[in-house]
Amino acid sequence: MHEVGIMESAMSLVEQHAAGRERSRVSRVVLRVGVLAGVDLYALRFAFDVVSAGTLAEGADFEVEEVPVTAYCLGCEREFSGVDGDFVFACPDCGDFSGEVRRGRELELSRIELS
Amino acid sequence: MCRECGCADRVPFGVKVLSVFAPKLLQSAARESAGPATVEIHTPLLAKNDDAAERNRAVFRDRKMLVLNLISSPGSGKTELLSKTMDGFDEKAAVLVGDLETDNDARRIHRPGVPVAQITTGTACHLDAEMIARGMEGLDLDGVRVLFIENVGNLVCPAEFDLGEKIRVVLLSVTEGEDKPLKYPPIFKSADLVLLTKTDVAGALGFDRQAALSNIARVAPQAEVIELSARSGEGLDAWYGFLRKQLVGNPEAAPA
Ligand SMILES: [Zn+2]
Repeated sequence: MHEVGIMESAMSLVEQHAAGRERSRVSRVVLRVGVLAGVDLYALRFAFDVVSAGTLAEGADFEVEEVPVTAYCLGCEREFSGVDGDFVFACPDCGDFSGEVRRGRELELSRIELS
Repeated sequence: MCRECGCADRVPFGVKVLSVFAPKLLQSAARESAGPATVEIHTPLLAKNDDAAERNRAVFRDRKMLVLNLISSPGSGKTELLSKTMDGFDEKAAVLVGDLETDNDARRIHRPGVPVAQITTGTACHLDAEMIARGMEGLDLDGVRVLFIENVGNLVCPAEFDLGEKIRVVLLSVTEGEDKPLKYPPIFKSADLVLLTKTDVAGALGFDRQAALSNIARVAPQAEVIELSARSGEGLDAWYGFLRKQLVGNPEAAPA
């Protein structure tokens, strides 16, 4: 159930940023979510509908920018991107498996749009 | 809501994934018309937990205490392993047990001289850093060198909640199948140590050990792996050896 808690943090940030402005109706909420953030997008969407009800963001478009994985090969000292949907990160140069994730764990409120 | 309880199945998928460029077009359109105004925010949603985790980390460092966060599915043997560890490991330890309902786990681990406290999470399917801070208040940590945190049985939700631990341990029992690491990559990718547990029943189950080790190595090449059985005692020495090595090499246990 942690998507609800995450969405509650997001909504409290949204309200902080929207309240008191000339245009304070939130028409769009955009989150950045890494594919390794451990968040279920279906659950997040559901949580948005529940948590935004009665707030300035009720009825807003909800969007997620997914951040693909970038891993790092220690041997070759290079970054490489993870293949979509595959969580085994093998360096394209040397074939070694990498456990060093540089990007792909993001979980942030990226921006909102007011109208 | 989370994959563990399956309640997301009914939720229609309506999330639109924007391309990198579309929002910029939207923004410039917004500036030139009376359309929506964009407010850039870029704030991590777990900032509150991350701050609390940093405070915990400072407390652990002051106490020179090694802290491990044990994560697994229900039934993978965390409680059994911790019970055995309280008997067999020779450094003073304490345990924080996160549980959804009963306090059976905490009772099973309890030993004379071992501080054990229960954290009831209610409906939450993970522990967070503030729960740990509150849970520690109920523990006499005098002289404790190792604190084990038994997280709620769940391989999804605890992944992104830093508790301030030094070592994240993910347990996988041979009863769960060889391909589990491939199904739960975020948690395995965050592991410092993977414990392959209940090895005493591996033979009876026809468990493919090589396949399991290879899957762990592919998904979590950063993690150390120890195979053990709390019941037979096999592998426990390697587990205790790992803990001792962490105590010696732990800058929190021996600050410069
Ligand atoms: Zn390489």
